[in-house]
Amino acid sequence: MGIKPMNMDKHLDVINACRYCFMCRHLAPLALVTGKETDTPRGRALIADQIRMNKENLKNQDYVQALYQADLSGACRTHCVSSYDEVGLVLELRKDIVDAGVQPQPVKDFAQQFINPSFTITGEGDVLYFNHPCIKVHAPEMKTAFDKLAPKHKTIEGNDCGTALQILGYQKQADEAAEKFVKAVKESGCKTLVVPQPAAFHFIKSKNLLPDVKVLNTAEFLLTLDIPKKSGTLWPIDSDFLKNYQKNNAPRKLLEKLGYKLKEFGITHEESYTCGEGSMTMVFLYPENVAKLVERVREFAERYEAGTLVVASPYTKLALRTYAPELDVISVEEAAAR
Amino acid sequence: MLLNRKSYLYQMIKSELTWIVGDDYVQSDDAEKLGHSIDYYWVPEVWHDRGQKLTGPDFIVHPKTAEEVSKILQVANTHKIPVTPWGGGAGSQGGALPIYGGIALDTKRMNKVLNIDPISMTVTAETGIIAQHLEWEVNKAGFSTMHFPASIACSTLGGFIAHRGTGVLSTKYGKIEDMITSMEVVTPTGDIINTLPVPRHASGPDLAQLFLGSEGTLGVVTKATMKIHPIPESRKFHAFLFSNMHDGLEAGAKIMTSRLNPSVIRLYDNPETAKLIKRVLGIDRVGSYLVFGFDGPEEVVDIQLEKACKICSEHGIEDLGTESGQVWWDNRYKFYYPPYMFQLPQAFGTLDTVADFSHIEAVYHAMHDAVKEQYPKAAYIGHFSHWYDWGCMLYARFIIEQPPQDPEEAVALYNRIWDAAIRAAIANGGVINEHHGVGLKLGRMMRDLHGPAFKVLEGIKKTLDPNNIMNPGKLGFSGY
Repeated sequence: MGIKPMNMDKHLDVINACRYCFMCRHLAPLALVTGKETDTPRGRALIADQIRMNKENLKNQDYVQALYQADLSGACRTHCVSSYDEVGLVLELRKDIVDAGVQPQPVKDFAQQFINPSFTITGEGDVLYFNHPCIKVHAPEMKTAFDKLAPKHKTIEGNDCGTALQILGYQKQADEAAEKFVKAVKESGCKTLVVPQPAAFHFIKSKNLLPDVKVLNTAEFLLTLDIPKKSGTLWPIDSDFLKNYQKNNAPRKLLEKLGYKLKEFGITHEESYTCGEGSMTMVFLYPENVAKLVERVREFAERYEAGTLVVASPYTKLALRTYAPELDVISVEEAAAR
Repeated sequence: MLLNRKSYLYQMIKSELTWIVGDDYVQSDDAEKLGHSIDYYWVPEVWHDRGQKLTGPDFIVHPKTAEEVSKILQVANTHKIPVTPWGGGAGSQGGALPIYGGIALDTKRMNKVLNIDPISMTVTAETGIIAQHLEWEVNKAGFSTMHFPASIACSTLGGFIAHRGTGVLSTKYGKIEDMITSMEVVTPTGDIINTLPVPRHASGPDLAQLFLGSEGTLGVVTKATMKIHPIPESRKFHAFLFSNMHDGLEAGAKIMTSRLNPSVIRLYDNPETAKLIKRVLGIDRVGSYLVFGFDGPEEVVDIQLEKACKICSEHGIEDLGTESGQVWWDNRYKFYYPPYMFQLPQAFGTLDTVADFSHIEAVYHAMHDAVKEQYPKAAYIGHFSHWYDWGCMLYARFIIEQPPQDPEEAVALYNRIWDAAIRAAIANGGVINEHHGVGLKLGRMMRDLHGPAFKVLEGIKKTLDPNNIMNPGKLGFSGY
């Protein structure tokens, strides 16, 4: 297939470790609602192993679909005593799939909207707020709340900064998008960038795209402000990208600083209740899976009588609002602006 | 029965299954078949690793209720196709492998906690629930199942019931067969039956004990009620070093026969102490490492601990203290994660068995000699990890660093070692297995172990499963 060496080769240690290991299956969110082996790290590592042994298997659409359905919560990596990076393996495999041109058609179609982006900057201030399309289109109330708390800032918007493309396996296009984003941020003159979309925050931080700019997630930024105290109880649903990818606990710190009483949602802090946030695209590409993930959250909310759920991710807010509109869900920004 | 995918019969069966559970919950794609064709048994692992073709199911079906299970089994009986229950798929004996194709009945959607009874101290749950989830949910109510197997994260309640599983605190809290109080079972012909509501009675033979350990050959356990316990006020551990395994065994037996009621005793032989205790726990000693623990009210725990320490001091060469015991508890699962767990290209097998105190040491040595006779370069290590009033379990392992590359040769060697070792255990007072089950791996020895009594088991199987659809070829029962 003319794809040597393969991107997945960087993670052969993960294949060897995960292909016969079951020790994190209890934290595989999608597998918990579908029951499918392919929705576990072991199941995907077995597929990767099949591809390792025979590159022709990369064309197998059953395997390709399984790799694109992955929730990528990162809970497995966080749980593993050796931190094997199964998420990294899947992301590299997706690059191989795209390189081979065998990605599913819906993925191809979906990716188009993020290729060759342009960005505009408006407003005045020293702080630049990234109005990511997931917020602008699906959760504008998060920006409204932010505007209320920090009215003086510039806004950058227009598209994603390469995150979705990277997650879908479009490495070259992701790099190009990131380059344009970086150029626009630099032109803004701001030395502080607030990234309210955790996936994009992780993308920018992990790639160190802006070494001369202070990159903060919303909670980190709001921790620097003097916000009036609140009262009440909230049930936080942690972001996969902040908790499992960045080991960043700022949303909970902020909520506690504000005076909220936090109650643990679900049955364990280890599990992901983001409804596929790690995949960034599941709610658009595999909505039937998101509906199942949301149902589990709804069940836990009911069983343990959870009140207001507070999320750090616009993705999770969108998923919950779409499939469980009866749940009371607010963002960290909204909790702060109350 | 491997069906032709292009046949109309295949489509007919698929339609019938889909009508029962819905479109989303019948799979026949290559990815899902792959995942259900390998469990934690070394043979399919090496088969896959060496690029050999694996046998998978024709369909993977995910029922949500006992009623759906019943209907699936009725379809299977109509078309006479095999059904292999699959929980977490983490069994080491090949018990969940669909070796004749047919239906892999994946139970993981039956994963709800149905009731926690704080008065009787029991929990009722569907059996597809992963043990760690069950424990977490019970914890939320202020209790514990006290079932802490190494596979807690990956195996289902039904999986433990199927092969009589156990956990690290079994010495006090028992194996799964001691924990279960009643069960709902779907029989091979589709009847949904319940065992008696309590586990102790004089109301005839105990059906619950018949289905416990039946490894999916007699039906599908869909619901179970099990004991729960208060979270103990205190839990303490202590470790000692013995110059040799024999002295450690004597000390462990004395703790048990003194009826001190420890929650755990674990004794590692000298080779495993040198290899794994050093690597995983960082305790670098020459000798046999023994750890024990107690739980309950603190003043009771302190007295029990003191008495156990006194026994060990009489035989041990070093008191390693509470810290060296606690570190074992804190890292008790770490042994089973990569890279600490053995993995390919190594060949390895856990030769677990159980015998009374009079015979357990002889079993250990007999298995050692059998392994070495078959393959002198094989390493043999072991620990004694589940203790009873009358004896203990031996968790022996053989490890071959470089087994033959040819998969047929590798599997032949593997089978030879297993056969010799387990037969040596049986000849010296042991049994086929203590808590991993029989599965595909050891079925051939069931007839020898049970003698004429095996005919009784076969008769039960034939009566309950006239078409032999349930997990054929496992537990020593006939293949398909």
